[in-house]
Amino acid sequence: MKAQALPAVELTRVSKNFDAVQAVRELSLTIRKGELLTLLGPSGCGKTTLLNMIAGFEVPSGGSIVIDGRDVTAVPPYRRETGMVFQSYALFPHMNVFENVAFGLRMRKMAKVAIERAVGRALEMVKLEGFASRRVGQLSGGQQQRVALARAIVIGPKVLLLDEPLSALDKNLRRAMQLELRELHERSGLTTVFVTHDQEEALGLSDRIVVMSRGEIQQVAAPLELYRSPANGFVASFIGEINRLPPARCRIEGEEALFEIAGNVVLRARRREKLTIAEGQETHLFVRPEHLTIATGKSSAQNKVSCRVTTHLYQGVYTLTRVDAGPLGNLQLRALGGEVIAAAPIGSQIEIDIDLDEAVILAG
Amino acid sequence: MRPRPFFLCFFLPSLAAALLLVAALGEIAQYAFRVFTPGSLEVGGFTLDNFARLARPIYLSVLGDTLLISLATSLFTLLLSYPVAYAMVRAKSDFLRSLIMLLAVTPLFTGEIVRTYAWILVLGSNGFVNTVLKSAGLIGAPLGLLYTRFGVIVALVQFSMPVMIIILATTLAHVDRNCERAAANLGAGPAQVFRHVTLPLTLPGVVSGTVVIFAWTMSAFSTPQLIGGGKVLMISNLVYLQGLSSFNFPFAAVLSLLALAVAMGSLGSIRPFVSRLELKAAIN
Amino acid sequence: MSARLARGLRASLFWGPVALILVYMTIPAFVVLMTSISPSELLEFPPSGFSFRWYERAFSYPDFQNAFVNGLIVTAFASSLSLLIGSAFAYLVDRYVFAGRAALEAVLASPLIIPHFTTGFGFLLLGADLGLGQSYAVVIATHVVLTLPFVSRTVYVSLRNLDPALERAATNLGASPFEVLRRVTLPLLRPGMVGGWLLAAILSLTEFTASLYVTAQRTQTLPVAMYTYVREYTDPTIAAISALLIIFTTALMLLANRYLGLRRILAIDAH
Repeated sequence: MKAQALPAVELTRVSKNFDAVQAVRELSLTIRKGELLTLLGPSGCGKTTLLNMIAGFEVPSGGSIVIDGRDVTAVPPYRRETGMVFQSYALFPHMNVFENVAFGLRMRKMAKVAIERAVGRALEMVKLEGFASRRVGQLSGGQQQRVALARAIVIGPKVLLLDEPLSALDKNLRRAMQLELRELHERSGLTTVFVTHDQEEALGLSDRIVVMSRGEIQQVAAPLELYRSPANGFVASFIGEINRLPPARCRIEGEEALFEIAGNVVLRARRREKLTIAEGQETHLFVRPEHLTIATGKSSAQNKVSCRVTTHLYQGVYTLTRVDAGPLGNLQLRALGGEVIAAAPIGSQIEIDIDLDEAVILAG
Repeated sequence: MRPRPFFLCFFLPSLAAALLLVAALGEIAQYAFRVFTPGSLEVGGFTLDNFARLARPIYLSVLGDTLLISLATSLFTLLLSYPVAYAMVRAKSDFLRSLIMLLAVTPLFTGEIVRTYAWILVLGSNGFVNTVLKSAGLIGAPLGLLYTRFGVIVALVQFSMPVMIIILATTLAHVDRNCERAAANLGAGPAQVFRHVTLPLTLPGVVSGTVVIFAWTMSAFSTPQLIGGGKVLMISNLVYLQGLSSFNFPFAAVLSLLALAVAMGSLGSIRPFVSRLELKAAIN
Repeated sequence: MSARLARGLRASLFWGPVALILVYMTIPAFVVLMTSISPSELLEFPPSGFSFRWYERAFSYPDFQNAFVNGLIVTAFASSLSLLIGSAFAYLVDRYVFAGRAALEAVLASPLIIPHFTTGFGFLLLGADLGLGQSYAVVIATHVVLTLPFVSRTVYVSLRNLDPALERAATNLGASPFEVLRRVTLPLLRPGMVGGWLLAAILSLTEFTASLYVTAQRTQTLPVAMYTYVREYTDPTIAAISALLIIFTTALMLLANRYLGLRRILAIDAH
């Protein structure tokens, strides 16, 4: 039988209060060795406070933090063996690249020759060979970020902590860095905790995502599961685009579930085993834009709704179309390409089909 | 629309003030080259004697004393001001920060004479220090703290600290806290963070502050005058003696020029050095 | 040892010395205040009782009364002139480029590094050679030159913080340059100007060394009168006058801080 690997970080009932404000409430989380975990949430949700507590810059008001089997709740940051990359990079301006990266090793009293080797390897890993003697002020944003990474990685930390490291970069550079970060993680195998408010970034990078709001965990899951089965309304709205339909009463008819929405609209969906909704109970329906399609006359769509086109937002790969669907409110559709703009001009009446089989259905 | 609507009416008063100052300094320069007639305010023709007189040992020793006292003052001021500036910038409570600033900066504005006199009260033979030490049984006879270089330096340091604290606090406030956190995260304890990050990044302020205090102390007058009591002479006291007691304006003028030259020289010489330091610490 | 105890010990290792240093910085003012209310004539500490007689004496001493009035006259004129010229100069430096600007800036800033006894001596000589002797005019001129750098720096900082869009909006709405100055610029500069004016007043009231040179018995300001007094008498009257000055200038400082927000101006708030 395979022995249970020690988790990298174990947070037990951790909380943090700033005067009257509860930034983090009684939060428990296990971070597995080698995984890339993202803390995702809007600003003020407590994700940065949590990261700072793992690093040791904030002392928890309650609970315990265990890193690799060692209780570090009372241990100061310089003895925790975590490596942190700050949002602003925080490179030492009075040292060059080499000295920056070597700093942690100097603190650990490593031998000079060993330091040179380790720094060389770290710079190679972040694709900055030859930059060792450059001054920090001469580097571009992307290069500074890689130096900050190298500096944190070279000390071989038990956990790598990244505090919104890509937020200062422009969009294209960001994309490139996301790919590089993912590759770096594969190669180094370091346990990584990543903080961001950008859900696209989180979905792309992570092994698991922790969605936070107001100091509490809303859901912990792999990206795919998070997108398909959000645990509550907050997660459903936060991850990706989604349409929130008005509350519906649920009725079961054989293999189908019927949802009655005010205004005498009835939508049908195949019954699911996991769905445990009582007869007549109020439910909330969330439908992704890609599951709304324009109904052509021939299709045998189940849920046809009449609506009027109000706006088109052309995005290149796809077009986001906004429609006024009467009792169902304003809905967003997503279609590939830009043909829809001519096919359904603004102001025209069209019929859309709502595929509820993929929808998120939440009780209460 | 006229490109420079108020230029003339703003420029002329400023020019007038500048010209007044230049004229005053010009007078000093002019008198420095004139012959002194003892017992009279009238001065004679052109001469370089006044400059030559500078070389006399008694005057050179006063210059040496001035430099020594200024140097000692600036170093001790630095040593004592840094912790206070650090506390003033980094204290966790708003109240503490404001309190420290009030205590540190307000004395600056109470005026030389008041502050010097206060030190007479503290250092005198019946003053604060001696009375406290005597009642604690630590000394029998009162310590002679007045009329010594030590007393002058103690008072001068306290004079200079507010200015140094302000300079250092400004520099400290611009240190990126995240750099310190990064160092801690990489394994540097508090002392090492200070040594490797905080101190180097505040070095430009430290150097310029020390030189500013040095130049400022060179021109101190009332402290050596009253606390030195004639036994401790700095250039300023010599100028007073020569100018307002002996009415030897020419020589007093030379001494003034010397003091001015040393002050400007020391401030000017460190300018390129400080710029280089600031570049290194990436201060913008 | 527990982490909290270690942190506490480390904290006291820092705050202990800082507290001592702060005591060192405030002892003189404290001693002055204590001595000023002492009933006995000798400079003694601790005072044996409580008495206001030295304050009475300070108020009734004619030299102090005259000096106080002189000080008010000189300061009123000097700080007002300094405000006018300093503000004008700050505006000049902020808005215009012209030949000789750097030289003008250097000259007007130089009183910051020129020893006060040099400036005082220079104005004494200038006054003598212009036939003005040690009149009020010379004293006021000296104080103006000495306080100018402080006023212009304060007003300059205020100018830099002014949003240029505001003046442009006024012009766009039809205001002439003069009206823009009068209705937009000056009102927005008022806190900086008031603060600068108070600063100049404090510096002028307490200025000693240069005043020693340019004042005569008749025009001497309070600090100079105090100096003369100390050389003849050694009773605590001088402590009373000093205490009064300390309280007065501290009050003015707090007032100036309200207008200037010293912490912001000195940029010593940590980010």
